[in-house]
Amino acid sequence: MKNMKKIAALGMTAILGASLLAGCGGSSSEGGDSAKGDSKGKTELTFGIWDENQRPAMEAMAEAYEKANEDVSISIQLTPYKGGEYWTKLEAAAGGGTAPDVFWLNVLHLDAYVEGGILDDMTEVIGASDINDSFAETLVNNYVRDGKNYAVPKDFDTNALWYNKDLFDQAGVAYPTDDMTYDDLVALCTELKDKLPEGVYPFACPVDFQTWYYQTVYANGGWILNEDATETGYGEAATQEGIQCWIDMINAELSPSATTLAETGSDAMFEGEQIAMTLAGSYMVPEYASNETIKDKIDCVEVPTFNGVEDNCINGLGYAVYEGSKNKEAAEAFAIWLGSEEAQKIQGETGVVISAREDAQQYFAKANEQYNLAAYTNHSAEAYPLPVCNKAAELYDMEATWLTKAYTGEMSLADACAGLKEEADALLAK
Amino acid sequence: MAQVKAKMPRKKASPRQKKDWIAAYIFIAPVTLGLLVFYIWPFIQNIWFSFNDVNKFNMSTFVGLENYKELMGDKEVWRALGTTLKYVIVTVPVGIFLSTFLAALLNAKIRGKSIYRTLYFLPSVTMSAAVAMVWKWMYNEKMGILNSAIKSMGGTGHNWLTDSHTALYMIMVVGLWMTVGYNMIILLAGMQGISKTYYEAAAIDGAGAVTQFFKITVPMLTPTVFFVMITSIISGFQVFDTVYMMIGKTNPAYESTQTVVMLFYRAAFDYGYKGYAAAISILIFAIIMFVTVLQMIGQKKWVNYD
Repeated sequence: MKNMKKIAALGMTAILGASLLAGCGGSSSEGGDSAKGDSKGKTELTFGIWDENQRPAMEAMAEAYEKANEDVSISIQLTPYKGGEYWTKLEAAAGGGTAPDVFWLNVLHLDAYVEGGILDDMTEVIGASDINDSFAETLVNNYVRDGKNYAVPKDFDTNALWYNKDLFDQAGVAYPTDDMTYDDLVALCTELKDKLPEGVYPFACPVDFQTWYYQTVYANGGWILNEDATETGYGEAATQEGIQCWIDMINAELSPSATTLAETGSDAMFEGEQIAMTLAGSYMVPEYASNETIKDKIDCVEVPTFNGVEDNCINGLGYAVYEGSKNKEAAEAFAIWLGSEEAQKIQGETGVVISAREDAQQYFAKANEQYNLAAYTNHSAEAYPLPVCNKAAELYDMEATWLTKAYTGEMSLADACAGLKEEADALLAK
Repeated sequence: MAQVKAKMPRKKASPRQKKDWIAAYIFIAPVTLGLLVFYIWPFIQNIWFSFNDVNKFNMSTFVGLENYKELMGDKEVWRALGTTLKYVIVTVPVGIFLSTFLAALLNAKIRGKSIYRTLYFLPSVTMSAAVAMVWKWMYNEKMGILNSAIKSMGGTGHNWLTDSHTALYMIMVVGLWMTVGYNMIILLAGMQGISKTYYEAAAIDGAGAVTQFFKITVPMLTPTVFFVMITSIISGFQVFDTVYMMIGKTNPAYESTQTVVMLFYRAAFDYGYKGYAAAISILIFAIIMFVTVLQMIGQKKWVNYD
């Protein structure tokens, strides 16, 4: 069978050829990172980021810094966040001693990175700057472990309740307001339910921690993770009540089912006008504002209070300095400057994220004045930070898998939480 | 592929032969180097990693067989192995049947067969992530074309991708759709390599098309089928991209669709247990090797090299 062998050989060659190309692709992009600029005698800093939408802001900031500090040149390295690519590359580079001098870091990854010893201790330089006076304490403390600062707060995200004015007008129901409670929200949804077009739901309750149930869990006095991250609080009645309130809305058919939401996310349904209201993080604003279908029909209000308590979750990013940086002092100076009034203003004016610095938060609302974006910042000082530990990524996945069973009705929330607690506590003990 | 191993008495090479060899080595050097750098060396490193606790930053401590012990007691690994096995057991026979069937059809003298061949081959050259995204929308419960079609015929539709009883089969369909064309081309080449004289002789003896297919095409095609089977089983055990793209973490069918390579990916890149991930990959390697060796032994019973 001569042909057979030929085909086999051809196939093998094709496979090898393809993988070689793939390999080369990977290595050539790595090679690009270490490429040195043509500047002579300048301190070269690399700056690692992951969001294409924010590249213009970062470039403008780097330019402004270069102008003021002529002996420094900054090159931006963008690696996409999706699929964990940013972290995979950063971790490999940190292990090999070639990580960017200054890079974005989120709270979720902080503990593992502190443990890995790749973050520069910035306590002194932060103490010498105006950062402690110009940022909310929660935001600065997000990046403090064992009394040491590991990052300068960059931005933060909180949540708001968005609604589609067209759908409310058609139904003849009054718009939601900033001062609503959870019970008001349920009443509003119930009123809307039969007045909306066929197949359109008043609200959506996906299995989502940061934008949905953590807010009510904390407002209800529940907890997820104890102080020293040795135990989870899923077994507490207060915790379960904060989750059950969203499941109740699904059961009352005020929200599409969890299976529907697993296939078509709440953002897609809101953008497709299949739900009248949804909760959304501030990072969704640029997407909503550029969506031709809904951008002129929507607005937002504060997240409804729960048990009379303001509930919002806050998360965000910081600028960290690489411990193995060859120009650590220059890198620290740049990172501190990124937290300055000037830098945070440049970032805020693009309207893509909320600048973390208190005097720069206003620019986010100003960039999209057609919306009530103050809803995001009004209570940011009282918002709850996400529970984090060095196994947070795994814990969140475990939580999503178990709680999905309760959201779909496959098991009761109490049973799902019991199973989750057992598995999660075992994970923490590992 | 078993080949005739003829033992040739060793002779001293002439200078001319030596020159030929050098040229040959230069020609295969790029691929060999690529193999060494991108396959063989990482593979050896990977074996070493599997005996270490490797954290996110590639700092490792030797732990001996700890990773393998944990692997044995990890029920998620066993469930994922079961899922993967189910995937292989369904997709390989169905895939071989479909691609042989299509190859036989397209081997006939019909109009526009090159167009059909191209059409069937197209999915193989399409990026699998894009394929998965398109299928995901087609399967969508609310706005997918599949449910629209069912509803227009009076059915009720179904949540195909979020029902743990159907999700895996839906993924299998996508996997088959992507690979059938490729296997079909290989089988087609195999069919065209069968000498016409057999068919002519059979026709003279009065054998019909069906008899010819089962008495000539099938036996003569067994080496090609064997090749297709080996490669399909290997790629079946490595199924990842479709699952990764189509099943989100809050999908109720998440647990019932996790394959071993998915577990490997999550351990290595989401959770940062690179040593444990290496052990999972060695387990996959061992299983694939075992199954392949079994097939190599078993082929003597059914593969016809004459």
